[in-house]
Amino acid sequence: MKYSILTKALLSATIFGLAVPAFADTELKVYISSQHQPQVWRQVLDKFEAANPGTKVTIETGGNTSEAQAQYLNTIMSAKDSSLDVLILDVIRPAQFAAAGWTVPFENKDMAVYLPAYAEANTVDEKAVALPAFADSMFLYYRKDLLAKYGIEPPKTWDELKAAVKKINGGENNPDLQGLSFQGKAIEGAVCTFLLPYWSQGKNLVENGKLTFDKQAAVNSLKLWKSMVDEGISKKNIAEVATDDTRKEFQAGNVVFAVNWSYAWAQSQGKESAVVDKVGVTRLPAVAGGESSTCLGGWEWGVSAFSEHKDEAKKLVEFLSSQEASKHMAVNGSLLPTYSSLYQDAEVLKAAPWFADAKQVVETAKPRPVTPRYNEVSEVIRTTVNAVLAGVTTPEDGAAQIEARLRRIIR
Amino acid sequence: MTPSTLSITDRIEKQPPAWSRWLDLSDRALAVLLLAPTAILLLLIIVYPVLRLGYTSFFSLSLTSGLPAEFVGLENYELMFTDPVFWETTWNTVLITLITVPGALVVGMALALLANLPFRTQWPVRLSLLIPWALPLSFAGLIFAWFFHSEYGVVNDVLARFGIEGVIWFNSPNLAFAAICLTIIWKTSSFMALIILAGLQTIPRSLYEAADVDGAGRIRQFFEITLPLLKPAIVVALIFRTITALQTFDIPYMMTGGGPGTSTATLAMYIHQNTVSFLDLGYGSALAVVMFVLSMCVTVVYLRIIRTKD
Repeated sequence: MKYSILTKALLSATIFGLAVPAFADTELKVYISSQHQPQVWRQVLDKFEAANPGTKVTIETGGNTSEAQAQYLNTIMSAKDSSLDVLILDVIRPAQFAAAGWTVPFENKDMAVYLPAYAEANTVDEKAVALPAFADSMFLYYRKDLLAKYGIEPPKTWDELKAAVKKINGGENNPDLQGLSFQGKAIEGAVCTFLLPYWSQGKNLVENGKLTFDKQAAVNSLKLWKSMVDEGISKKNIAEVATDDTRKEFQAGNVVFAVNWSYAWAQSQGKESAVVDKVGVTRLPAVAGGESSTCLGGWEWGVSAFSEHKDEAKKLVEFLSSQEASKHMAVNGSLLPTYSSLYQDAEVLKAAPWFADAKQVVETAKPRPVTPRYNEVSEVIRTTVNAVLAGVTTPEDGAAQIEARLRRIIR
Repeated sequence: MTPSTLSITDRIEKQPPAWSRWLDLSDRALAVLLLAPTAILLLLIIVYPVLRLGYTSFFSLSLTSGLPAEFVGLENYELMFTDPVFWETTWNTVLITLITVPGALVVGMALALLANLPFRTQWPVRLSLLIPWALPLSFAGLIFAWFFHSEYGVVNDVLARFGIEGVIWFNSPNLAFAAICLTIIWKTSSFMALIILAGLQTIPRSLYEAADVDGAGRIRQFFEITLPLLKPAIVVALIFRTITALQTFDIPYMMTGGGPGTSTATLAMYIHQNTVSFLDLGYGSALAVVMFVLSMCVTVVYLRIIRTKD
């Protein structure tokens, strides 16, 4: 008797389990990291659900740094786990995920609608492997009030920046006021720290998958940052400073200039900020005789290769990456759009007036090396930058180490 | 002895238990049967992963390339010889072991002797021994990273109160290394102390009383009674501590992330980086095999020491 009840229970569970997908909703799970305003994305997902009856979308959040998210997704994807359908990816990762076979390409997708840098970052072997979620890049934040007080224009070169700091520090006589804050800790931000002056000299790190390392440009770049420490422009412990430390120090009013991403803006205008209405944002300075350049940031949507609902997931990603969603996120979440026209959109500019100036910066931003082994490239650069800033390695030795190690990774 | 009693003892000695007879097993077969579940479990959770690790180390297996695993023989091991980071991290690991194991032994011994003093209320002493031991390693690392922070840290604050200018601990390989070793010693000496304390409490009081009568001083008592009788406890503590020292990961990971540069990275951190961050399972496995062999060597050496003492 007992067995027959068990058998019946199992049998009915199996039938029920098999029957459910036939008439129930399609359930999609989207992975959004916690710092990317999942609550605002939820509003976009609600719109999608309303337009697509029968599809339910849930959000999974986790990992509050790019490295933490990557580690989590690495684990999920290498286990071929089908629980996630759509993934948000840092702009440096679509190439790696596509090479590993973790995401599926979008056939016949017209990438020309996006800002060129994002079309490029999401295209591998002429296939769209992910679609842009929002744009980002590094900017120079500065204290409008202090620059105005000393009659200084926002600097165009790093030398002008140094001169401006010396003038302001001489007048303010405030030992707590730091000239420039940037990222010296061995984190992803330090890769950009290295690349900014490197690119500014017109050099590239990787071209067409080949290493195009210019040792002299690398030495110059490392020397520039080290001189910031040696000349007292930046604090001596800059090798301890991570991205959000820069944001906090600037927001507390202890920094004249800061290199940071766009997210720092909203917080510098928030309730806990000491510098409300005193913040200017402009493009980063160039090296003397060079072009200003900045690091391309931003996040992308990919469809998991292990999803059981790939077609629905692709449809959702198309929607999340649409102009409509991009505008919603710009107005409600202050996320930079990946559509050129939105930078002149009246509604967007009403919500975030500084976007008008941000466009030219985003447009000239450069992607970090596009390679499946980016994690290794990143590790080499950030630990070397950190060692140079800590004074453990000279800029010359640091550049030699970067070259030697990159040659083993990119062949 | 009558024949009948003989036959009874015979029957008792020679007859296997009823259920064993029912299975028709010899004693040897029975032993094998009873050990089998444990042996299978050990095979599954220890022997198989280790063999699998060794097997993977002969392959070029990178999850980021999307390529299938390819047999490369000893290539991953050859790579180590020319990999400066491998040598640096291995050297750091050996150095951490050489500094923190004796360090923790000395501090742990002192703490154990302190805890063994006849305090009237013993629990505050025992509790303060237990707390560092009970803290998760990464948590200890995080706390000490704050302690040693150049601007907000309590260490530089205390130095400043004595008129000493603070230093940027994590800017210098030597200072960062010192900070890490201090933290590891703080964290692990309580474990040593707990084991040594247990050993101390097995030494009979009467030995000390006899030594007192013979006129031996405290120091002589320590070297002639306490230390020799503590030897087994010390060796056990040293085996555990040395092996965990070779696997040091959490504390430097949380405190410096291996920096400045790679000057405080350990072999375990390098294995983690290759497997988890770079998804290079082939090279990561080869590194892990090296670490496994290192741990085995240390254990064998200690076991030899114990055996010769017996």
